Amino acid sequence: MLFSSITFLFMFLPIVLAVYYFVPHKVKNIVLLIASLFFYAWGEPVYVILMILSIAFNYFCGRDIEAHADDPRKAKIAVVTAVAGNLLILGFFKYFGFLMETINAVLPVDIPYRELSLPIGISFYTFQAISYIMDVYWKRAQVQKNILYFALYISMFPQLTAGPIVRYADIEEQLRSRKINAVKLGNGAVLFIIGLAKKVIIANSAGAVFEEISAMPAGNLSILTAWLGVFSYAFQIYFDFSGYSDMALGLGKMFGFELRKNFDYPYISKSVTEFWRRWHISLSTWFREYVYIPMGGNQCSVSRNIFNLMVVWALTGMWHGAAWNFAAWGVYYGVILVMEKYMWGAFVDNLPNPARHIYTGIIVLVGWVFFFSPSLGYAMRYLLAMIGGGAGIADATGAFLLFTHWLLYLLSVIGSSSLGLKLIKAVIRAPKNQYIQLTAAAVIFTGMFLISIAYLVTGTFNPFLYFRF
Amino acid sequence: MTSKGPGLAGIMKYVVFALIIAFVALLMMYVSGSSRPYEKVRQSVENALDKDSLTEQNMAAFKRNFNLNAADYAGVMYYSTGANISAEEVLLIKVKNDRQIQEVTAAVEQRIESRINDFEGYAPDEVRLLEDSRQSVRGNYIFYACSPKADEYMSAFNSSL
Repeated sequence: MLFSSITFLFMFLPIVLAVYYFVPHKVKNIVLLIASLFFYAWGEPVYVILMILSIAFNYFCGRDIEAHADDPRKAKIAVVTAVAGNLLILGFFKYFGFLMETINAVLPVDIPYRELSLPIGISFYTFQAISYIMDVYWKRAQVQKNILYFALYISMFPQLTAGPIVRYADIEEQLRSRKINAVKLGNGAVLFIIGLAKKVIIANSAGAVFEEISAMPAGNLSILTAWLGVFSYAFQIYFDFSGYSDMALGLGKMFGFELRKNFDYPYISKSVTEFWRRWHISLSTWFREYVYIPMGGNQCSVSRNIFNLMVVWALTGMWHGAAWNFAAWGVYYGVILVMEKYMWGAFVDNLPNPARHIYTGIIVLVGWVFFFSPSLGYAMRYLLAMIGGGAGIADATGAFLLFTHWLLYLLSVIGSSSLGLKLIKAVIRAPKNQYIQLTAAAVIFTGMFLISIAYLVTGTFNPFLYFRF
Repeated sequence: MTSKGPGLAGIMKYVVFALIIAFVALLMMYVSGSSRPYEKVRQSVENALDKDSLTEQNMAAFKRNFNLNAADYAGVMYYSTGANISAEEVLLIKVKNDRQIQEVTAAVEQRIESRINDFEGYAPDEVRLLEDSRQSVRGNYIFYACSPKADEYMSAFNSSL
């Protein structure tokens, strides 16, 4: 089920909220767990069994690690088994087909194989499970003895299908007790509406422009059209994913949970390092906590640190998908971040701010070309078109798209900086009277919701980009 | 958990992991897709069709009936009786990516719904055919059959993978 679907908005969510607020406190987790399993089963009726088995596996692994807490060797074996089990399941679903395809392409063989579709959210919930296993092993968190609470941590529907990846230590306490009140419900609803508007009004519109441009052969794109295409994709993926994250955080709040933000205006960054502190924060944090630091992080020699960074970024690329373009995208960022850390970081820091924004913007946009390209060859042809190797400087398609979508780009620029939210707050707080302020807020957010619904009803099916990861 | 609990957890994790492997094995047998090329799958399904009642339709008919563009997919095979008074049709599609799966299954659902609305009231046999129609998603392949021989066609599709 999609957050941006009529079924979710007008049936699932109101019913679940009504039941959740009606039942006694002790039963709330059970209601949320049943709702979460139903939510997942709606879209993945077969794979919900896999998720339940994965929950049981990790629950028993956690108990096993705790049982060997006083025997480091056995505890280590238990944690290695648990992590290996999780990675085997994820690896099989995500990379088996890619591995067989690569073998068939590289070797003079044609091995037939069967492939399974990727269960939605498996990359996210597997990483959450590993987070739990490691937090219990490192004694950052207590083992969860209540399997219902643990099942809720893995399957909670607001963040189940596309994150944010919630670290167990961050939510352990909230699983036991959390504040639920009207203020949180209201704030959560506002955050949800903002996320919905980001997704259906901006991301889908930018996506339509990108689809049109990406359907053309890369060699036929003018510089203008190629840049419009990559800008459209940059806005689409940002508003799509950060919109989903806002909806997840908003829903979490409505059910009493405080989840950490996943985006912090990444496109205003003045360096690539800063960009990755602001983009998909929960994934970067996960890799830092559970891969980079255990490998030695930066508390080691320069060569070892470079190795650690490259491993983390190759893994980050491959996490996004089993394809060479994702691997290239990960390695690309690994190299840039190493260079920024050891070669030109200090120079970039001393540049004037506009130059730093342009430097970061160009690197990020080139990165998106690798990310959206179906193959490395296409990525190279597209990059060539961006510097004039396609159909000249400008063409009628580019001019038409720019002329007809300038308002979308303006909204996207405003919305991807803190200016958008500041403008909304300024409008709401302009009147001195508190009641008028409340009325203005109600009008703005209700209007945003109604416009989003209008887009949903008239638009075509449009799932979230990050569902495929 | 009692003092035996931790030992139990150690055993249970292997039991559950074995269940996961068994579950994945079942998925591979019954719901997996295949690396077999589209042309081979298409040929196997096509050979099983009753060509006396079904004829291959062009992609304009596919677009008209399912509101999808054939060029967007890795392969499309569409057979029907070509008559408005019959609901019988068979569709095989190989999609290019996971995103297209939901798009196609939604289009098939919509097609069934709209045909039921068309036939309701005057052609109960056709409505029954539509209600008993068979659909299957196996990896990148999507199969839909509305026919008295739907089960036969479906098993031809399954064994073609």
